Amino acid sequence: MTFTKPRIGALDLAIGALLVLAAGYVVYRVRIQLNYHWEWSALPQFIVRFDEASGRWVPNYLLKGLLTTIRLSIWVTLLALVLGTLAGLAQVSRRLLYRLLGRTYVELVRNLPPLVLIFIFYYFLSDQIMPLLRVDRLMDCCPGATRSMMTLLLAPPEQFANFCSALVTLALFEGAYIAEIVRGGIESVEKGQWEASAALGFSRVQRMRYILLPQALRRILPPLAGQFISTIKDSAIVSVISIQELTFQGMDLMASTYLNFEIWITVALFYLCLTLPCSLGVARLERALARRS
Amino acid sequence: MAKPAHFLIRPSPHESRSWIDIGIYLLLMASLAWILVRGSLNLGYHWHWYRVPAYLVDARGAAAIPGPLLKGLAVTLQISALSLVLAFAIGLVTALLRLSASFLGQWLARAYLETVRNTPLLVQLFFIYFVAAPVLGIEALASAVLALSLFEGAYASEIFRSGIVSIHRGQWEAARSLGLSTWRIYRHVILPQALRRILPPLTGQGISLIKDSALVSTIAIYDLTMQGRAIISETYLVFEIWFTVAAIYLALTFSLSLLVRRLETWIRIA
Repeated sequence: MTFTKPRIGALDLAIGALLVLAAGYVVYRVRIQLNYHWEWSALPQFIVRFDEASGRWVPNYLLKGLLTTIRLSIWVTLLALVLGTLAGLAQVSRRLLYRLLGRTYVELVRNLPPLVLIFIFYYFLSDQIMPLLRVDRLMDCCPGATRSMMTLLLAPPEQFANFCSALVTLALFEGAYIAEIVRGGIESVEKGQWEASAALGFSRVQRMRYILLPQALRRILPPLAGQFISTIKDSAIVSVISIQELTFQGMDLMASTYLNFEIWITVALFYLCLTLPCSLGVARLERALARRS
Repeated sequence: MAKPAHFLIRPSPHESRSWIDIGIYLLLMASLAWILVRGSLNLGYHWHWYRVPAYLVDARGAAAIPGPLLKGLAVTLQISALSLVLAFAIGLVTALLRLSASFLGQWLARAYLETVRNTPLLVQLFFIYFVAAPVLGIEALASAVLALSLFEGAYASEIFRSGIVSIHRGQWEAARSLGLSTWRIYRHVILPQALRRILPPLTGQGISLIKDSALVSTIAIYDLTMQGRAIISETYLVFEIWFTVAAIYLALTFSLSLLVRRLETWIRIA
């Protein structure tokens, strides 16, 4: 907390010199010692390619992966919102049973590494639940129009069951974090509001519905939007269970082309393009809501 | 020092069903476990719990030595500890740079924070392992520690920054009027006070670090998760091993959570 305006000082010079030195070292290592051949020209064909059959440009591996990441994140957030709201409300319930169940879910998920959780849920879901529900058959019984709609919104038929497993797994994971946001939002509303509405004769459900939740919603909106960004980032983990999202496509391409440097730089940039605007949006939302209240 | 119950969950005085609820809860959990076991038996899954202890402690030789899972736990703890120290150092430096008067320093800190917080840890890990590691000439373990500490450092820096900013402005003004230099103000006035406020959230960050360290299994480091995956691919004891691994992580993170709670009460009293 310094109270002077930024200006060029000794620290700037030192940092500048350090940055130049570091950049020089990296360039020296890449150019001279590793003798790395950059092949940026090979990369665009992995993003979009020209389809001879239909005579159009179609998305290729990386762009397809990005689209899958976006689809997955949106569906996961929607499902996690339902789960999280239920678990969050359960935690502020007056009934001990609901509080116990809510806490068990939240604590279990939040204290386990996401990777371990995803392996457990995935084995359990894809081996036991999904065959039971016959999710893989679901697509086959749909008419053509519905099927192409589902392909567009969810996943192509051959990956559908897999996609659903990943979707449920990630939603269970994110739901626990959303539950904490919802609980925090409800608990942050002042006690006086609750008491005043009780004095006016509102029932418990009415007080929740008309007094607490509308006020809580405004406070939980920015962290919820932040959780959406986390979901985009966390969705990278499902690449280990062969969901063909952006990170998986990056790994796949690296194995077949050996363009390690170009691919990972591009994948990182893709994620940045996706999340940076969201982050800026969340910051604006926070400021706007802070100004209004 | 127990926190009084929140007004929302305070039960009305004439109903006390807590024992019934605890009973129902236990019953539900038991039936869930029963469904899991029965369901797996129906699908032809055979439970072999008796084989699990051998992977924890290897007692075949004269003296019992740690089995693969405990060895993996040691690697997990080692990576987490190294990354924790490095993450705190990175976090503190970044926080100080953001609060400094230096234009370039602020810019560097912001660029680092935005990059790290807007890309997945897995992609950072791959980036460092496949791109930065050959450039810097480091091996897998070092790249894992570097990736984890850069990632957690970004979050730690926010904790440090909020802790430093939370110190009252008057402290700065008083220290300045005493003629202390910026370095001395941080060293003797601000940081000792800020540290107390940021210790609990920093420990929480340590818990996140242990959880996130499971990701290093993707670059073939034999930590707890990777050992679990290796055993499963050999023996197909999918559920036994994953439940054991999960239980070890839970024990680790829960005990650290308890420590955080202790720390918070202790700091409030002190």
